[in-house]
Amino acid sequence: MSFLSVANVRPALGLLGLFCAVIAAPWVTLLVMIILALRYRAWEVLVLGLLVDLLWFPGLSQGVFPLFTLAGLALVWGLAPLRREFLIEKEDLVY
Amino acid sequence: MMSSYRRSDRKSLHRGLVAATLFVLVIFALDVLSGGGIRALARAGGSWVWSAGSQTASAIAGSRIAQSRQALLKENEELKEEVVRLTLRIAELGVLERENETLRAIAHVAESISGMTVPIVSSVRSSPYGTFMVGAGRGESVAVGDLVVASSGEGGGFVIGRVSEVSAHSSLVTQVFAPDVSTEAVAGDVPLVALGQGGGNARAQAPRAATISLGEAVLSPSFRGLPIGVVGSVSQDPSSAYQTVYIGLPLNLTALTFVYVIPFSR
Repeated sequence: MSFLSVANVRPALGLLGLFCAVIAAPWVTLLVMIILALRYRAWEVLVLGLLVDLLWFPGLSQGVFPLFTLAGLALVWGLAPLRREFLIEKEDLVY
Repeated sequence: MMSSYRRSDRKSLHRGLVAATLFVLVIFALDVLSGGGIRALARAGGSWVWSAGSQTASAIAGSRIAQSRQALLKENEELKEEVVRLTLRIAELGVLERENETLRAIAHVAESISGMTVPIVSSVRSSPYGTFMVGAGRGESVAVGDLVVASSGEGGGFVIGRVSEVSAHSSLVTQVFAPDVSTEAVAGDVPLVALGQGGGNARAQAPRAATISLGEAVLSPSFRGLPIGVVGSVSQDPSSAYQTVYIGLPLNLTALTFVYVIPFSR
């Protein structure tokens, strides 16, 4: 089994997102979240969104909203119909 | 049979997502109720990861590992160790030299305004909200509203942000030019409202008749009248009654290692 096998992609993306949340530009983390949300029913998207906001969000009193948490929720639940429609997921193949 | 299996499998996957969603909501609610306690914990972890990462990166950059690997393999083991040791030493000296330059620049500001020098303990470009962390908090008498000043090295300090959250030994700073943050400013004798664009840049509208010269310091009455940037360019549209003023910070935010915190609200 190759290190770059499909089974490793999801945890690798999750770890990459974790790393990017701390040191990379925010659009990189967002991109990882979008890729994860498009391909998997990934709880990691929610955790990444929460992590970005826990690290950088200055508080509701500053007049800003926790955008990444909201983006995570929107990606996970908003893209669910798209995933269901277009992606062949593992549970569809194994009976 | 098959479809019932699929349904139950999907249900369990859905349950996972629902659980994760509830987890996120509970953590967020707990954070709000605890006055940012969970955020303080996350930031302590984040700044530790960032510090460890930046030390590792500078060690790799300082050594020759990032360069020609084949050339290194050809070298004698003893010679290689010596080279690595020396290059690491040079990298350390480089870091110290940069820190020294920053501190010397801050010393100019400290001569005129009392405050304290604190290290930056996070990435300055990672936040989607234009925030970053400094390594001083309640324990070091930092308070919400304090001004964060960086120096360009020529004596003048520029206000780059304001402390927006404080925990025990670290604080979150919101940049003056964070995206969509408005700040009252004055360029020469022209009053402006600078709208932050992120990355140390802002934009403002001024009446077309106003004379604003390039390189002019932009001061802010909201920040003790200290400078917050300089006029980078002015764009005029003949069909508009206004001219657009682009304001920038004359320093590289990502290269900053120390900043100066001035008490504001006390």
